[in-house]
Amino acid sequence: MAFLDNSGDILLDAVLTDAGRKRMAEGTFRITKFALADDEIDYSLYNVDDSRGSAYYDLDILSTPVLEAFTDNAAGLKSKLLSITRTDLEYLPVMKIFDNAGNVQNSLMNEELNSFIVPVNEDTLKILSLNNRPATGVLVGESRRISIDQGIDNTAKAFNSEIDASLRETQFIIEIDNRLGIIRQASSKNTLLEAAYIDDDDIASYIRTENNTNFVLSRESANLANIETGDHYPSKTSLRGQFGSRLEFSIAPSTTLQDSDFLFERIGGIFAANVLGSGYTSDVIRYIDATVRVIGATTGYRIDIPVRFAKLKGSTGDL
Amino acid sequence: MANTFKTFLADDVANTRTLLHENIPIPGALVSGSYNNKNIKNFTHKRFQSVYDYPYLSSSANHIFDISFGTSADSTVYQDSSCVDKNKKIQMYNTMAQILAGHDTTGNILKFDVDGDLTESDVNTKHDDCIFLSFSRLLVKDEIKKESINLEIGADEYSNPSETLVKVGDYGAATNYHINSPAGEYGILYKDAATSGNEVGLVFYQAGIMVLTASVFGDTSFGPSNDRTETLIQSDIQEISDVIRHRIKNIQFNNTVELNSTIYFCRINHNEFNYSSNPTYLSDSKIRVKQDKTDEPVSYITTVGLYSSNNELLAVAKLSEPLKKTPQNSLILRTRLDF
Repeated sequence: MAFLDNSGDILLDAVLTDAGRKRMAEGTFRITKFALADDEIDYSLYNVDDSRGSAYYDLDILSTPVLEAFTDNAAGLKSKLLSITRTDLEYLPVMKIFDNAGNVQNSLMNEELNSFIVPVNEDTLKILSLNNRPATGVLVGESRRISIDQGIDNTAKAFNSEIDASLRETQFIIEIDNRLGIIRQASSKNTLLEAAYIDDDDIASYIRTENNTNFVLSRESANLANIETGDHYPSKTSLRGQFGSRLEFSIAPSTTLQDSDFLFERIGGIFAANVLGSGYTSDVIRYIDATVRVIGATTGYRIDIPVRFAKLKGSTGDL
Repeated sequence: MANTFKTFLADDVANTRTLLHENIPIPGALVSGSYNNKNIKNFTHKRFQSVYDYPYLSSSANHIFDISFGTSADSTVYQDSSCVDKNKKIQMYNTMAQILAGHDTTGNILKFDVDGDLTESDVNTKHDDCIFLSFSRLLVKDEIKKESINLEIGADEYSNPSETLVKVGDYGAATNYHINSPAGEYGILYKDAATSGNEVGLVFYQAGIMVLTASVFGDTSFGPSNDRTETLIQSDIQEISDVIRHRIKNIQFNNTVELNSTIYFCRINHNEFNYSSNPTYLSDSKIRVKQDKTDEPVSYITTVGLYSSNNELLAVAKLSEPLKKTPQNSLILRTRLDF
């Protein structure tokens, strides 16, 4: 008889992230919980057609090389593993930007720039407008917004059926570079949020739960309660199946961007306004392309939203 | 309720202390100046000499140790009227002695004692002409491991000192060492064996300093042209250091690092972490690794993240290869953070 393998546990050496080192220096270093991730794994390699049998389905996945740890806290653990007691789930929820072609103008992303646009002042807004109407994707006023739909994107789970409670996202984390912008309520341009915390890389995290009804909308508050299956997609929601919740927010430019060109010169570029289409002027606009990340706190799903901060070259003032 | 975090309980965190030792060999070729003496740094003050592992002007060079020499006021070397740099020699002795041996009750600096009894007043039991080897923190780390020292010294004529090799060590120090020094624990250095009469110096473990009596380096033809006493009188500290380097055949010891670790036991039950939020996990919201709803969910762990209460990632640990997680297995990942 051979010996039994009794190596039931695995010892790993951890490295501190930059945020961990900062907390250590401040004397506020305290670990309270853990999460697991599979950032390197490409699940499309799971080959159920392998004729040798199910033992070979994940052969490629198991031989995936694993990188050393990143010490940037913002770069680690992008794809977290989920604990769900049920094992019979066939579908999991996703998050999608509600910007389908049939959708209302207010939450569309700009097609030419493939991003949302945040003008930092009035002069820039005028250049980004045609006949006093801001270009598509320009986040301004109290109707333009970024809308994220959370739920099942598959007709196998009918839109009118109720999503499993464990799969409905109740808390969203919005991450944005604090040097560039501030998250605000979409329907109230003066309601700027206060970040829950700002990390050592200046990434601000805002947390919105289902109690923040101006931000997190249920099926009812998103006016989807009485929509028939078939009429919902793509004009009412970006999801083909069960609806979980909708997150709505907008972005206000930071004072730094309004008052100074420093960051535009350092990490930005320039473009002519007429790339937005005919009728726009050829005025030169400075820009910074950034990403706003939305993470489902309970489901772990995340989505990166491209955002372009724009400032008319030589302009000053605010919105 | 889906969840991506699991909170540690009190039993999931353990603190440990481990002493690690490294072997530090310093070959005589390096000490004698194998890079045309470019790894030997001299100073205009001539109070000590530094030995590097590479030409010291290079950014790759590491400081290994310093050599110096000192005499007490009772030494015949110091008392000789023709003694070169006698003030520097007594200054070095007193500097090292007050740090390592300390002061008596009246505030006078104690001398280095042969057998470790610093309270004795008999001058014959003191080291008066001392060679100081001060090792870099890079090598010593927290301290020199007791009973790990092995010095080989050439004690024959200057032209071929290795003809008579003297082996020096802190024999028996693991169980027999002294604690009556202000610089921590110290042991006696003996030649050949730990017997009375063989004492040739002291080693201060936490300070990383060896104090050797000059007599262990030979007597006749100690220097290029003189016996030991004359060389110590007529040479400055830098020249004496050159002679000592010429006579060191080998230095070896083990250092000690005190490693404090916190081990976080990441307990993963059978019904936890079986799904993934990886974008490739789904195709049109359908789980790729399941053909049917009765199939078990599967995930593959590559990373463990340790978080603060406000979800700030404080530490990361990686597995060497993906680890399969299904409802049929449970795991304990012991994640260690060293301080």
